[in-house]
Parts: sequence; structure tokens; C-alpha cells
Amino acid sequence: MLSEKRKSFLIFFLPSMIVLAATVLYPLIYALFMSFTDSSLKRRGLGDFIGLDNYIRIFHDTHFIGSVWTTTVFTVLVVTLEFVFGFIVALMLNRIRFGKKIFFTIIIIPMLITPVAVGLIWRLLLHPDLGIVNYMLSLFGVEGHAWLGDSSLAMFTVVMIDIWHQVPFMILLLLAGLVSMPSEPYEAAKIDGAGRLQTFWTITVPLMKETIIVAILFRAITAIKTYDLIFVLTKGGPGTTTEVISYHIYKQAYTFLDTGYASAMSYLLLLVILLLSIAFIRVSRGKPQAQ
Amino acid sequence: MKKHWLLGIVTILILSLVTACSSGKGGEGASSSAPAASGKGGSKKELNILMETVPDTEMVQKVTEKFTQETGIKVNIEAVNYASMHEKLVPQLLGATSSYDLIVVDNYWVGEFTDAGWLEPLDSFIKRDKFDTSVYLKSMFDMVGQVEGTTYMLPFYNYAMALIYRKDVFEDADLKSKYQAEAGKELKIPDTLEEYVNISKFITKQKGESMYGSVMMGLRPDPISVEWLNYLYSSGGDFYNGDNTLRINDDKAVKALELYVDNMKNAAPKGAAGFGFDEAFNVFAQGNAASFITYNWMLPKLQNAAESKVAGKVDIASVPGGTSLNGGWGWAIPKNAEDKEASWQYLKWIESFDAAKERALLGGSPTRKDVLADSDVLGQFPHYVKVQKILEASKMIPIIPQAPQLIEILGRELSEAVSGGKSPKDALDTVAKDVGQLK
Repeated sequence: MLSEKRKSFLIFFLPSMIVLAATVLYPLIYALFMSFTDSSLKRRGLGDFIGLDNYIRIFHDTHFIGSVWTTTVFTVLVVTLEFVFGFIVALMLNRIRFGKKIFFTIIIIPMLITPVAVGLIWRLLLHPDLGIVNYMLSLFGVEGHAWLGDSSLAMFTVVMIDIWHQVPFMILLLLAGLVSMPSEPYEAAKIDGAGRLQTFWTITVPLMKETIIVAILFRAITAIKTYDLIFVLTKGGPGTTTEVISYHIYKQAYTFLDTGYASAMSYLLLLVILLLSIAFIRVSRGKPQAQ
Repeated sequence: MKKHWLLGIVTILILSLVTACSSGKGGEGASSSAPAASGKGGSKKELNILMETVPDTEMVQKVTEKFTQETGIKVNIEAVNYASMHEKLVPQLLGATSSYDLIVVDNYWVGEFTDAGWLEPLDSFIKRDKFDTSVYLKSMFDMVGQVEGTTYMLPFYNYAMALIYRKDVFEDADLKSKYQAEAGKELKIPDTLEEYVNISKFITKQKGESMYGSVMMGLRPDPISVEWLNYLYSSGGDFYNGDNTLRINDDKAVKALELYVDNMKNAAPKGAAGFGFDEAFNVFAQGNAASFITYNWMLPKLQNAAESKVAGKVDIASVPGGTSLNGGWGWAIPKNAEDKEASWQYLKWIESFDAAKERALLGGSPTRKDVLADSDVLGQFPHYVKVQKILEASKMIPIIPQAPQLIEILGRELSEAVSGGKSPKDALDTVAKDVGQLK
């Protein structure tokens, strides 16, 4: 017989578990199954079991390998720059006394816009002939660029737009960390005569370590999965200079209708993200605490 | 205990997965037995049609009220964005019955849909009711009408491409004399692509950033593909030889791509390599470009002062070289439609001369020769004389089930060539290799 405690546990636990199973677990298992078949949107059902063929094919797919490199460059650039910007802004916001709410509200706005809208807005702003960005530059005598149409600039442009869009997220997380910090160590440091920089490196950074790692981890995972921004801004072009993994997978599934192969690539991506998560969590716990 | 629970859930999931998979396969067999053709009657009182949100759909909506008055059959037109059409259609066509009684099919999808057996052949209806299909332009009927001798569709509207240009620029006396001096030739709408690119570069060089010789659209995958196909066809190139071997990387195709890249780099606005259709259109509509290879039905839009700054200054011509990319939509009855007789009644009506003419007078793009040549229609749209010639000479994207994949590969490699990632020859060799491997 079930005890009262166990019963009430089940009543609260089961509904959420069922929803999770139906919306997360089931698609995941379905996709895993699909990744071992030659399933295609061209016909009904799952297709035939073909073992690891899809996974082997991934490593012969030059476009996939190219997109891995593109995604890596994109992720490293975006996460690093957003972290640096975000931290600086968060530190500044933490110090000001007046107008904090106003600044905060303004800074947070980009995050509230959906990525597709962000992409469309920036496409208009960056139009080389009719856009306002090149017009403003011309007022200062600077020659405008073909931001999205130039293969040497497209990646830079996409990175900049992503920063504009995602920095607020970094600020939000880091500011929350800064606000919740104890004030005693700072007072002690002041009494001991520590300089600002010294305080930053020896108190702020170590105390913020967990928050920083969570922020970077979160951003890295979402950056690796970036798809919508690329879809709206460049469709992977010019050439293949901005073709990221998620966009490549999307095309395999919905243009080439090759859902089996697309699932295999998705699983590989999932694996990378999982490994990344584990690594970050390990680091964040630190060695002394391990067991 | 906890572990057992999880195990139970996972087992249920796997079981449901297996049953889903097997039922999927079972269903396939069941649906292949086509429903018996319903007899005469057309008892259905409501028809559902899936269409795209484009001007031609609005015209259909306007004239359809008459059909409802005449027959008492209500027609519900569901108009959606192009991007969501294909994914809405395919599940409906795969199912045992479709909620759509009539659909419109882009020429891109014809190969896929007929190959999968999703469309009802119309020949018996056409024969019984003596519907004359010879009124359609051949290039339209071969594309969105019949496939290998069987009629699956009736051509709905055309979107063949053409050269739209600025009359005032090509008649500019100063430019004309300068071009005469430089090239030793008269500045006029050229007959060959080579000369077109030369003129285009000349105008950009003379006028700088205020007037580009041509505005182009280099965004992957569709804009760049459809634009370049005009260059390919007008240079005498094609995808396949008569015997279905690929010729997409032969000398003519390479030459066409070299000209395209030359025009993009030296005449088109900076950043055109990333332009989609709207961005290119806006440059032209703002008066910053002398020519634009685009859909022929853009001309009325550009002549409308509310939408463009160049109203009254534009005209249409064949793409230099003479063969542009044809495009169009066809009406079709899904094989799994409930009451095909009722669907046909409407189809026959909306494609009748009177209804087609009425749509054309409202601004629709005709596919029937008798409508294109009608004096009322010509009175309103005199440029249809030229449009008919363009339509007759134009060529379509090959009708194969893999057309969308073909365009994706082509778009990627063309963009590589334009951005300097690959030479034209290398890019087209890759297209040939990848297209050859398509299943």
C-alpha cells in the first residue's frame, strides 16, 4: 500500500511528468529512433532501419563540417563579447543610484523582441542603399558597407546584431548576481585599503563565479542552436559564410525532406550541448566540493 | 520505486512509438485504393480551397460570388502565406481524405505532387464537358497543365520573369552619346546578355550611386536561383540535355554565370549579393536602378504612383537573349477530395473565358491566349502584347520531384560564386555533382 505521503507526491508529480513525457521525452525518443532510419517526409511512416549510416554520413558531409566551424566561430565571438559588454554594463548599473530603473527598462527592450522581428528590423536598417545605418555613416563622411551582402562582413554583422539582441540577457543575470552579493567583504576590503581593481579581481569575480558560469553556459547553449536570426538575415549566405549547424539541419529536414539524417545531426548537436553542460557544471562546482 | 516508474513510462513511450510507426505504414497501403469516382451530381454545398495571399487570389475571391449565386455552392477560400502553403498541403494530401476540394499548385511542386500521385487526372472531365484546353499558352499548359500527356491541372496565373527597365534612362540623350562614343554602339535595350551586362556596367560607371545599371537579388536560395536562371536560359543553357544527362556545368552555363557575377560585382548596388526580392524591388521603385529582371506582373505595381517613384517611366521587355524563366500556378483537384464533381464544376467555371477575362480586367495575370488577346483586356493593359511573347518564349524549372532541393543546391553554389568562394566553373561542377546525387 502507498503511504499518504507517497500518494500526495504522486498526485503532484504525475501530471507534470506526463506533460514532460508527451512534449519532451516522446519527441526525443522518436527522433533518436528516426536517426537510425532512412525516414523521409516524402512518405509516411518511419522508413527502414539503416543502423549507423546516418551518423557515418555526417562525417563525410563537407557542408556539415563547414557549418560546425561557422557555429564555433559564431558562438565564441558572441558569448565572449556579450559577456564582456554585459558585465561592464551590469557593474555600472549596480553603482548608479538614480535612474537605474529607466536605464534598466531601456536596456532590456531588445530582449523582449522576437528574433525574427529583430532580423527583419535590422535588414531594413542595414539596407546598403535605402537603410538608415549607411545614411548616418555618410553624414560623418564614412563610406557605408554592404553589411549582409559582403562575404567578409556578413558574419561580423550577424554577430553584432546578436549582441544587440542578447546582451540584455547577460546584464539581467549578472546584475542579479551583483545585487545579491554580501556587502561585508567589500567593507572589509575598504578598511584594508584595497583598490578598486583589486576588489574586483579578489572579491567580485570569485563571489560571482557561479553566476558567471551559469550565464556563459546558458548563452553558449542558445548560441550554438542559433537558427532564426540566420534564417531571416542571410539564409547562410553569402556563399556559406554564415551557415550554422541548426540552419543546415533545418534544410536537411525541410528542403531535402531527409528527416532521418536531420535527426542524426540533431542528436550529435544535442550530445555536444550535453557534454558542454556537464563540463560547465563540473567546473562550477569546483574540485574541493566534488564528493 | 522511482526507477520502476520511469521504466514504465519509457516502455509506454516506446510501445506507442512502435505502434505509431506500424500504423503509419499500414495507412499507406489503405490509402492507395483510390475512392471510386463519384457519379454525376455535385451534391456538395460548400467547397474549400487553399490558396496563397497574392493579388490573383483576391481577384478569384471577387468573381466567385457570382458562382455562388448561380449554383448555390459556397466557396471558402483559405489564403495563406507562401511559406506555410507546402507544409499545410502535404499532410492533407497524404491523408485518407483531404479537407480541401481544390488546391493551387506552384510549378515547383508539380513534379513532387504528380510523382506522389496526389492529383486527380482531369482528362475524363475535360473530355466529357468538352472543355477546350487549347486556349492556354503552350508554355503555361506544359508547366502547370499536363505532365507526360496526362492533364492534372488547369493553368491559374503566370509569373514569368521579364526585364523591367527605365525608359527615361535608356532614352537619355547624354548617356546615349557617351555610350556611342565609348562602345561604338547605340544605347538601347540589348539583344544579348553580354551587351546587357556591358550597358549595365556603363550606366553604373557614369551615374555612380544615384543610378545603378541593374538591381539584382543575390540572396540564397530562391532569389539568386530564379534570377540566374534567366541568364542561363537566355544564354542557351539548360539543366538537362534531351537524354536527361546534366548539362548545368557546360560552357554556356559557365558563361552565363560569369556574366552574372560580372554584373553583380561591377554594376549592381553594393550589397545586392544579399538582397531578397523586396530589397531589390525597393531600390528600383525608389528610382535608383535602370533595369531589374523580375516578375512581369510587377509592372502595374511599378506604374502605380502610390507604390513607386518611377510610375510612368517604366516599360517591359524580354530578358536580353530572349528566354526568361517561366513560372505559374495551376488549379488541381486532390486525389482524396470528397466530391470531385463539385470541385470540377467550380474549376470549369473559374477557368471559363468569362470568369478568366473578368479576373484579368481586375489585374490578374492571364494564362489563356484568348484573354491575353481580348480587346477590353488589351485596352486596359497594352503591354500584354509583349507579355504574351515573353510567355511564349520562356522556359520553366525542370519538372522533377526534387525541384526544391535543386533550387537549394543551385542557390548555395551561385552564392559561392558571387561571393568569391568558388570560381563559376567550380560552383557549377558542384551543382552537377550534388544534383546528380539527389534521390
